[in-house]
Order: sequence, then C-alpha cells, then structure tokens
Amino acid sequence: MKRSLLFSIAAVAALAVAMPGVAATVKGPAAGKTVKIGVIADVTGAAAVYGVSQKNAYDLANDDLKSGRIDTGGANLSFDVQDAASDGNQVVNLFQKFTTDGTTPLVLGPTLSGEAKRGDPVAVRASMPVLGTSTTADGITDLGPCVFRVSLSEAQVIPTTVAKTHALWKYKTAAIIYGDDNAFTKTNGDIFKDQLDKAGVQIVDTETFHQGDKDFQASLTKIQAKKPDVLVIGALFPEGTKIIEQATKLGFKTHMMGGNGLNSSQMYDVAGPGARGTVVGAAWFLGGGYSGNAAFVANYKKKFGSDPDQFAAQSYAAAQVAAELVRAGKITKADMCTGLRDLHIVQTVLGPIAFDANRDVRSAPVILQIVKGGFAYLH
Amino acid sequence: MNLATFYAQHSKLIDQIGLDALLALSLSICLQAGQLALAQAAFMGIAAYVSAVVSLNFHWPLLASILAAMLASTIVAGVLALPVRRLRGIFLAIATIGFGEIVRVVANNLSITGGAEGISGIPPDATTPVIYASLAVVALALYALSRTKFSLAIALVREDESAARGVGIDVGFVRFTTLAIGGAIAGLAGALYAHSQFFIAPGDFGFGRMEQILVWCVIGGVTSPLGAAIGAALLTILPEAIRFLADYRDVTDGLILLLVILFAPRGIAGLWRRGARGRA
Amino acid sequence: MIAQQLINGLLLGAVYALFAIGYTLVFGVLDILNLAHAAIFMLAAFATWSMLGAGLPLPLAFLLAVVLAGILGVLLDRIAFAPLRRRNAGTLIPLISSIGMAIIFGAIARGIYGVDERHFTLPLLDAPPMRFGPVTFTTVEISIFALAIVLMLVLTYVMRATPLGRRIRAVAEDSVAAQLLGVNLEHTIGATFFIASALGGAAGILTALQYNSVTVDMGGQIELKGLAVIILGGMGSITGAVIGGFVLGGVETLAIAYNLSEWRDALAFGVMFLILIIRPRGIFGKRALRAA
Repeated sequence: MKRSLLFSIAAVAALAVAMPGVAATVKGPAAGKTVKIGVIADVTGAAAVYGVSQKNAYDLANDDLKSGRIDTGGANLSFDVQDAASDGNQVVNLFQKFTTDGTTPLVLGPTLSGEAKRGDPVAVRASMPVLGTSTTADGITDLGPCVFRVSLSEAQVIPTTVAKTHALWKYKTAAIIYGDDNAFTKTNGDIFKDQLDKAGVQIVDTETFHQGDKDFQASLTKIQAKKPDVLVIGALFPEGTKIIEQATKLGFKTHMMGGNGLNSSQMYDVAGPGARGTVVGAAWFLGGGYSGNAAFVANYKKKFGSDPDQFAAQSYAAAQVAAELVRAGKITKADMCTGLRDLHIVQTVLGPIAFDANRDVRSAPVILQIVKGGFAYLH
Repeated sequence: MNLATFYAQHSKLIDQIGLDALLALSLSICLQAGQLALAQAAFMGIAAYVSAVVSLNFHWPLLASILAAMLASTIVAGVLALPVRRLRGIFLAIATIGFGEIVRVVANNLSITGGAEGISGIPPDATTPVIYASLAVVALALYALSRTKFSLAIALVREDESAARGVGIDVGFVRFTTLAIGGAIAGLAGALYAHSQFFIAPGDFGFGRMEQILVWCVIGGVTSPLGAAIGAALLTILPEAIRFLADYRDVTDGLILLLVILFAPRGIAGLWRRGARGRA
Repeated sequence: MIAQQLINGLLLGAVYALFAIGYTLVFGVLDILNLAHAAIFMLAAFATWSMLGAGLPLPLAFLLAVVLAGILGVLLDRIAFAPLRRRNAGTLIPLISSIGMAIIFGAIARGIYGVDERHFTLPLLDAPPMRFGPVTFTTVEISIFALAIVLMLVLTYVMRATPLGRRIRAVAEDSVAAQLLGVNLEHTIGATFFIASALGGAAGILTALQYNSVTVDMGGQIELKGLAVIILGGMGSITGAVIGGFVLGGVETLAIAYNLSEWRDALAFGVMFLILIIRPRGIFGKRALRAA
C-alpha cells in the first residue's frame, strides 16, 4: 500500500512537471497541418490609422502562435496580411487572390464597411467565409451566409451611446454632421438620427460632407447658428479630426459624440484639446478586464511601443477565434463557415465571443470619452 | 500553367483590357475629328448606372440593358454637343471636364444611383466572351466607317476646319456625329463595366478615369483607333507587368508617358508608321 | 451666421485665387493647361512639413518651400514643355506631358512620404481663436488671408511695373512680336513658370496649414476647381483669376449655407459650363477663342 501511494505521488509529481509541456502539445485534429488565413487591411492610405493597428495585432498573433501562447493543437497557423491601401479596387483584387489561390480557408477584414460591401461578394460567390473585424455598418453580414464579424455593429453600439449620454447630459436638441459617401459614416448618421428621434431629441440641423473634404467651416457655422445641445459626428478619422478641430476653432461649446470612426487613440493628438470629452461608443476598452486583455496590452506595448487600440484588439480577437477553429480541426472553407456559425463561446481580449443568428457578435458596448492620450470610461 | 489556370488568375485583367480598349476607341473617334471632348468617363458612368438600374429594378436581360444604356449615353452625348458646338481646344476640354464633374455629383446625390455608396449586386453576366464580342463589333463598325467618305470628312475637320467648311463639309454635323458615336461606344463600355463588376460608384467615372483614357489614346496615337486600343491594352497590363517594381511602379508609369510624349508624340501608331515607311 | 459664412468664403476664395493665378499665367503665356500645377501645390506643402519637422521656423520654411516650388516649375517647363515648343506641338500634347509630370511628381511624393496623412505640430495652430462679434477666426486664418492678398499684390506690381512683367505680358500678347522686340523667349517663359508655380506652391502650403493636413492627393479637388476659376475670370487674366477665385469661394460657401452643400461642386462647374457657353472668354478674358 505504501509503495503504491509513493508511486502515485511520484506519478502525480512527474505529471505536474510535465503538464505545461503536455498541455502545449495536446494534439488537435489539425496537428501538423499548415493553415494560412488571409487578412485584408488598409495598412496605408486614408484608413491606415485603423489598418496599421490591425496589422500589428496580426503580427503579434503570429508571434503568439509560434510561441504557443495561442493554442492551435499543433497546427501551423499563420496570418497573411495584405495591404489594400484603402483602395476599393485593391480590396476586390485581394479577395480574388485569396479565393483563387486554392489554400486560403478564411479571410479576415477588410478594414472599412464600404470595402466589405464591395469585396465580400467576391468571397461569398466562392463560398469563402469572411470574418470582419472593423466593419460596423448595416448590411454587412447580410452579404452572405458565411459573412461574420467580431466588431460590434453601429446598430448595436449607438443605441447605448445615445441612451447613456442622454441620461447624463439630458440634451434636448442635436445636430448631425456625417459623410454621405461612405457606407460606414452614412450608417452612423442614419442610426444616430433614428436613436435621437426615439429619445425625443429634436434634430435642429443635419449636414453632410464627402470623404476627402477638409473644410467644414461653412457647415459648422450653419450648425452653430442653430445652437444644438450636442453635435453628432459620423466620420472616419481624417474628417473627424478636422471637424472637431474646426468646431473648436469656431467656438463650439457643445458636447460631441460619434461612432467607431472616432475610436482612435490619436484623436486627441491630431484634433487638439477640443477633442477632450467627445464620447465614442466602443467595443473594447484598454483597461477592460476581459480574459487575457491585460497580457495582450502589455505584449502589444512591448512589441510596438504604444498601447493597442480597439482595432488591434478586435483583430487579435478574430485571430483567437480563428485559432480556436483550427484547434478544433476546422481548416477548410466549409468547416470554417459552420465552425463560426456553431461557435460556442471563445474567450478573447474583447471578452467572451459568440455569434448571433445574424452572424453579428454578441457582446456589450462600452461608452468612452476621449482624453489626452486615449480614452476613459464615460461618467 | 495551362490556359484555364492562366485565365482563372487573370480573368479580371483580361476583362479590363477589353473594356479599356472600348473606352479608348470611344475617345479616339472624337480626337480624330479634332475634338478634345473629355466626357467619355461621364458617358460611361451614365450608361453603367442605367444598365445597373434596369437590370436590378426591372430585371431586364443583359442585351436589353446594354441597349438601353447605350441609348441613354448617346442621347446625352448628342445633347451635350449642342451647347459646346462653338468651343474648341482647351475650352472644349474644360467644358467637358466640367460636365463630367456635374454628372459625378448628380450620381453622388440621387437615390436611384445609390448615392455615394453606389449600386452593388449587379448580375455579373458580362463575361469575357461578351466583352470581346462587343469589342469586335465596335472595331468592325469603326473599320467600316474608316472606309467611307465620312471618315475623310472627319480627318479634314481635324486637320483644317476652315478648309473643311470651304469644301462644303458640315463641320457641326461631323462634330455632333463623332461625339454621339463616342458616347455610344463609351456607353457600351459602361454597361459592360457595370455587369462585370459587383459594384459601381460615382468615383469610378470621374476625372481620374478620364485622364487615363486620354493617356491611352495619346500613347497609342491620337488619330489611330487601333493605336488607341493597343495603347489601352498596354497601359492596362503595364501596372501588373511591372508589379515587381513595387514602389517604383507609379514613377515608371509617368516616365513612360513622358518618354512617349517627348520622343514619340504620334504615339505607338506613329512609331509603327515610321517603321513601316523606313524613315521618319 | 452670414457674417461668419462670408469670412469662410473669403478664406476659401483667397486660396482658390492664389492657385488659379498659376494656371492662368501659364495659359496666358503659352496656351497650355498645366495639369502638373496641382502636383507642385502638393509638393510645396510636403516640403514645408519636412522642413518644419527638421526644426526650421515657419516663415523660413514657407519661403524656402515657395522658392522650391518655383524651381520645380522651371524644371517642369524644361523637361515637359520646352522640347515640345521647338516642335510646335499644339495644345493636346503638352497637356498630356503635364499629366505625365504630375504622375511622376505624385509618385515621388508617395515614395518619400507614403500615402498617410501628415499633420503639423505647430503651437501656432493651437492658438485660441479670436472672436469679433458674430465672427470667429484664428491667427492662422488671418495670416493665410493676409499672405494670399500680399502675394497677389506683389504679383500685380511685378506684372504692371517691372520690366519682367512687361516682358511676360508682351510674350502673352504676341510671342513672335515680343521676340522681334528683343525679348528672350525662353528666359521669360522660365520666369513665368517660376512665378506661377511659386504661387501655386504657396497656395498648397497655406491650404495645408489651414486644415492641418498634408496628403499626396490634396491637389485633386483644387486642380479642377482651379479650372472653373480661370474660366470664370477669363483665361490669361490675373485680375480674372483673383476675382474668379473669390466668386467661386463665395458661391461654394453660400451653397453650403443654403442647404445645397452636396451640390456645391455641381454648382461651381455648372456656372463654369454656362460661362463657356455664353461668354467663353470669362469676365476679364481678352483673348478671343482660338480655333485650336
């Protein structure tokens, strides 16, 4: 009896020492197989402010895959990031490339909603699943039965943004300025308008602009004359910064709020002190306590010298979801699609992720305020 | 690599070459009459939208939607010819550029054109055979035209307008017709473009594209439709062919353009003729 | 609100005018539309950004960039237009040549700076705006406006009261007669390009400062709007370019003020189109239409 007890203790001890090694080499169904997942991101161009973060996240994910921090059950997974240079045509070309190379089972991206509307149909036609990480406009997941996204859509976030700010600031009137030539900014404008109407807020002025516009003074002057309590900005980074800057210049003292386009930690640096206090509805917060988030933030900072932003987090989360699929042995296009559809909760830096019947992510938004250097919770 | 794989990987490029050749031909006919009418991109856009709308909203078959689109663009070209009939050279160029911009803004703001977001989900039934068949038809038609007396009139209007008037040629009619023909061909290209992309947006038909078409015609030879088509084909393939030059691609594009202008201003067609004759 | 909109319009108009002068000078002297003008507009802005980044004070950087723009203009002429002049190449070929140079300039900018938007970190840009009753503007804006006006006045002086100006006007009027009178054609053309491009470059720098933004494609919009300005004002007329610039700036701003914002480009080009049909030589244009 004593000998078998000793033996058991020794066995347990041996196992305890070997366990970490064992865990890392538990072979999944795809062990030994090589899987390359395509990524389309705007690393350069107008949307580079989002795309660079995304590329960084995938680079970090590739590192973590090599080191085993992300577990793929022994499969050799990597992410192939291709730059679409914020050009819709290049997005389509890249989708074509990935759908005809015969090896890619899944595409992550593209960066912008408009690009997705343009390029996802190519993937859909080839039965290639697409997992968006930053596309938040309406209608994206409707493009096909294998189009998913880990990014909370504007339709999911803006109602909370409006509800929280309205409860806090109790505004009665609002003005909206949004880009009418971009799927994302247009969605922004439409949903904000809808939600504000529902909240009983009177919209005193609506102005539109085009991508690439630099001068918003005339529109802002018009808005200013109507004296709204809050200014809603449906814009991407280049236009958003100028709007905030010029509004500040013109002496706007109103609250400002906007959608995902304003969700960059560089907002304060470029738009100036006037950006402080602008409210942005987001899907992720730097200080959020989700599983693995703190480690992700620390590693990102160590590798790139700056904090990650939401775009990086969402990309990394998508990588985590993809890795989970690979670990479960799903490495073909069809398997990836059903895998995403039937996904049970995956723990990611965004929190626990699953998809709803509409292939949108099930998650809760966080409402943030721009401060010097980044964001803070709204209170 | 066999033909099927080659096609699968480059089908988009092959289609593009066909469309670009059509666009070059549409401008070439105007340039042959000495008209610097830079509205082809706008005609293409109008046709693209018309064909997209009738296909999506009214479910017209491909041929009907192409014809409807060509009709629309030809009518617009004809209507445009009237107010600009007295403009020449740069003034005509600027007027037509302005027209193009107006069309772009209109497309950007109407709901039937999908506004700035454009129209997506157009049935992609303009396959490669369809595109090249259309190109062949147009090429044959233009060839037939070149054998008529009308083409002589066109050339004379370009070379010396007052002389043309002197021999009794109705210059206004020549200019009107060539602009309308250009509008029709650009319209064909536009309809085919819509049915070979998944998606069209106002930005696809702006000054950038117009500049491109102009460059193709000049490189190929302003007065030669064949040259224009070849110019289009070459310059469409070029960015892909020199992809290995990566960062230096754009500079190379511009350099080639400059070199052709400086050393072969009659374009490729001019070089060909020079070679055929043995000396300059 | 109207008062503020007026200020907005004046500012926009000043930059349009400055840019259009470059177009009209070259056209007046050479009958060429220089589509590389907008590229120099952009390069001057980038050059300023680089110099500021290297620590140069703004006035010096501005001056150097403007001179650089002028030099680029002369280079542009030497490479892309002068060889064609000897060949009597008409109006289309030089136009294409300028497109080629514009592509090259753009490629150079993209090669050095990439496609990302650059911003300035000048304390000047964060200075609080000044309020005078119903209108607000910043130090930057007033400087831009003042500088644009000064440059236009200097140009007018040069053109009216200096020998160089007389030579330029003579060549614009009749290049053969001017040469017979002893004017060195190539030198005068070179000087014209220097001035035109310097002004275009200045417009670029001021635009970049105004919106705190430098991008490789920042010349795209103004390239076409500039055409509308010179048609409105009259090709070849500097006064026309100035007046046209302000009129266009005003039209656009008013369009926004009166809820026609999305149509403002169409309005601008619609006006231009009408002018071309009704009175092609514009408000101040002296030359009759040439059969090109």
